[in-house]
Amino acid sequence: MSDLATPKPAAAPALPRAWPRRFILWGLALAALAYLPVLLTERMIFGIYLSNMTLLNLGLSQVNLMLIAMLGALSLNYLTGCAGLISIGHAAFYATGAMSAAVIGTQLGLPFPLVLIGSALAGAVMGVVAGLPSLRVQGLYFVLSTMAVHYLVAYVFLEYQFRVFDVVGVPFGTPSLFGFELSTPMRWYFFLLALVALVYAGLSNSLRSREGRALLAMRDHERAATSLGVDVRILRIKAFGLTSAIAAVAGTLYAHYLSNATSESFGITFAIQFIAMIIIGGMGSLKGSLIGAALWLLLPSIITGFAAGFGGGSGIVGSMLGEHRAQFVQLIFGLLVVALLIYAPGGLVSIGPKVRALLGRWRKG
Amino acid sequence: MLGQVLFSGLALGSIYGLVALGFVVILKATDVFNFAQGMFVVCGAYLAVTALSLLGLPFPLAILFIILGAALMGMGVHAALIRPLSGRPILSIIMVTIALSIVMRAGIEILYGPAGRTLSTPLPSGGFLFAGLRISQLHLTAAAVSWLCMLAFGLFFRFTSVGLLMRAAADSHEAATIAGVKVDAMNRLAWAIGFTLAAIGGLFLGQLQIVSTELETIGLLALPAVVIGGMQSIPGAILGGLLVGVIEQLASTYISPKSADVMIYALLLVILLVRPWGLLGQKAINRV
Amino acid sequence: MASLLEVDGISASYGRMGLALDRVSLTVEAGSIVAILGANGAGKTTLIRAISGLLRLHGGAVASGRTLLDGQDVTRFSPDRIVRLGVAQAPEGRMVFKTLSVEDNLAVGAASLPRARRGERMDAIYHLFPRLAERRGQAAGLMSGGEQQMLAVGRALAAAPRLMLIDELSLGLAPLIVKAIYERLGEVVATFGTAILVVEQSARIALRYCDRAYVLEGGRVALSGTAGELSSDERMRDLYLGAAAGH
Repeated sequence: MSDLATPKPAAAPALPRAWPRRFILWGLALAALAYLPVLLTERMIFGIYLSNMTLLNLGLSQVNLMLIAMLGALSLNYLTGCAGLISIGHAAFYATGAMSAAVIGTQLGLPFPLVLIGSALAGAVMGVVAGLPSLRVQGLYFVLSTMAVHYLVAYVFLEYQFRVFDVVGVPFGTPSLFGFELSTPMRWYFFLLALVALVYAGLSNSLRSREGRALLAMRDHERAATSLGVDVRILRIKAFGLTSAIAAVAGTLYAHYLSNATSESFGITFAIQFIAMIIIGGMGSLKGSLIGAALWLLLPSIITGFAAGFGGGSGIVGSMLGEHRAQFVQLIFGLLVVALLIYAPGGLVSIGPKVRALLGRWRKG
Repeated sequence: MLGQVLFSGLALGSIYGLVALGFVVILKATDVFNFAQGMFVVCGAYLAVTALSLLGLPFPLAILFIILGAALMGMGVHAALIRPLSGRPILSIIMVTIALSIVMRAGIEILYGPAGRTLSTPLPSGGFLFAGLRISQLHLTAAAVSWLCMLAFGLFFRFTSVGLLMRAAADSHEAATIAGVKVDAMNRLAWAIGFTLAAIGGLFLGQLQIVSTELETIGLLALPAVVIGGMQSIPGAILGGLLVGVIEQLASTYISPKSADVMIYALLLVILLVRPWGLLGQKAINRV
Repeated sequence: MASLLEVDGISASYGRMGLALDRVSLTVEAGSIVAILGANGAGKTTLIRAISGLLRLHGGAVASGRTLLDGQDVTRFSPDRIVRLGVAQAPEGRMVFKTLSVEDNLAVGAASLPRARRGERMDAIYHLFPRLAERRGQAAGLMSGGEQQMLAVGRALAAAPRLMLIDELSLGLAPLIVKAIYERLGEVVATFGTAILVVEQSARIALRYCDRAYVLEGGRVALSGTAGELSSDERMRDLYLGAAAGH
């Protein structure tokens, strides 16, 4: 498995003189990622105290939730963007993970590593089951079958929650990994960062493998993949199992991070937000999933911060922002998705190169 | 007891059938599986609130206001979102309707506030006893109006010239263009009709319940209704609507209110696996 | 007096691919049958689309040149407007409305006529193609290829066009059916005075039933002339009529 810090081999031979620069950039990025939680906790840099506004109203908790969401977005983008299977059932796999974690961890009291493995397995099994209709129906019909799976799982979760626990929800304890207790946001941060890096590397490696290339070919032309000598249908179900396992782990972590989960936590809107993330970031691009998840999780806080900044004023905008913050965030995201779908179907990652090209031309000319 | 449950199931199912009919008109014309149909229902309810409570229009004028408002919005949605995306992959189309519903929900909550409102109309709201059943006049009116609308549109598509051209455009955009049909105008009209039918459903659902954006979930029951009945089939949509209404009422009475959704979607899953073209649909799958 | 249709130096392309049509000119006089001949990819269908305004639907565009209908420039008119000006089309692959009945298919074609004229027009078509009258209530998608071709021609005729464009009329049809349809087309020209521009693969058929023909090669007009002139043309004989021609 490749390390995140290794530069892409493809770029290396073409740009031999860029090597040291690349190393420095990666080093700086790693240092920044390592320093970020300290910055957000201590709220000062080089001895200078930072105001809430300067930090864009961000806390470490939002960053951690963003990292968890990245797991969901990565797995959904692999499934939808790379394997071409549209799923509205992603929340169901989160719920599956949370539910199996509750059984293994909260009820049976088994250690956290077992909880993670158990929920990944449960997610994989659930994913394979949810992927089975793809053997029979395609396109829109398959989308609907994932939606049906969502409602089935949501109902099971609801029944489970009310039979075993109560309306307050399912409680989750503080997880501990071989003595390393995830008791502070800082510890969570490093654990999640490593996990996201691992999943990212794993998924991009898998896309480069023979099966991964067949998956991509299958998304574009089903016959092309068949002629590669790969059974498309098995591959689809494998992809579903793999991504559902990741989503289930994300669900487990999400529930543990919030220390509580209810049937309301994993509604259909929860599933839809992941689709929105990958559309915003870029369909079929793993990097895009990270960008989309980051934007989706951090932008609301930033907007709220600005609203608080304007809140003192008596302007209409200020008071509207104050009163209907959540709605404004939804409105902005909805319009963003619509605008991207119409003008940049490749998401934000597809805009990047265009902007760079424009800037380059501007600098030269 | 059973009779009572069946009555309300069929009455609600008629409204679902009406909403589902609007859904199918849009689907047939533009191949768009419209996840915003639920918000169209909500929009209808809020148009009614605007006309009756805020503007204080007399009832007939209010109805006109709702129909015209809904038709205009339907055309607007088609022009702004659907036409620019024609020919794009299915996920883009699905997602644009989902994003539209997010925007509409946010917009409505900003304009009208997130709290629910009650809607009162001059429609009869009492009840009477008939053959041992307590018949709610509002349910009865809703069902009757839904059936009238469904009948009217059935006749419109079957026997009018514009209806014929709409069917031709839905059959094949290219062939219709060649035959001189203004396909774009037909599609716009389909969205206007689809939105209007949902809005009429919203008028009744808003009155039977409370007007809030939560009505979306009820409006979205049109989706399983359409699939169960048969994607491309208009009678199928109506049958699907009735079935969904009856199952919903049976499940919430005899099992638990929370089990209604899962029963409907379980049936949907069974239909998808056993008979994907739906109860009354034609066996031509993989098209959408 | 202007010709019914005058294509004046039309060039057209699809996206960034090269020119599909390169300065093509042709004329169709009222009441005549004109054939467009040529190999696959010679630009025959593109020419039909350029005339009927359908190029844009297929991602193409007219780069230069004009199409004149009775002297009026219709190059950039929308397809429905061109139909209402009297140019109807029976497209390649028939493209009947499969889910609609035969009667409804014809009614869609006749929809651009004033209401009072529609019934009479449809009767005339049923008279011309009695087969369609027999199948009146049947869904068009369930008919045979030849019947669908009759329906496509009938649907175009239902608009009471002055000019009818027919793309790949004989493709995939048995010779007897092709013969029957061409004989009907002769009647159409005789009774309604409709002019016909037909894309034909078989040079032999074209020269037998048409007044004039244009041969396209690589998007250009390579040969043109009356049926008689072309029949005796050396190149025409070698390339399109085959060695057996004339024997």
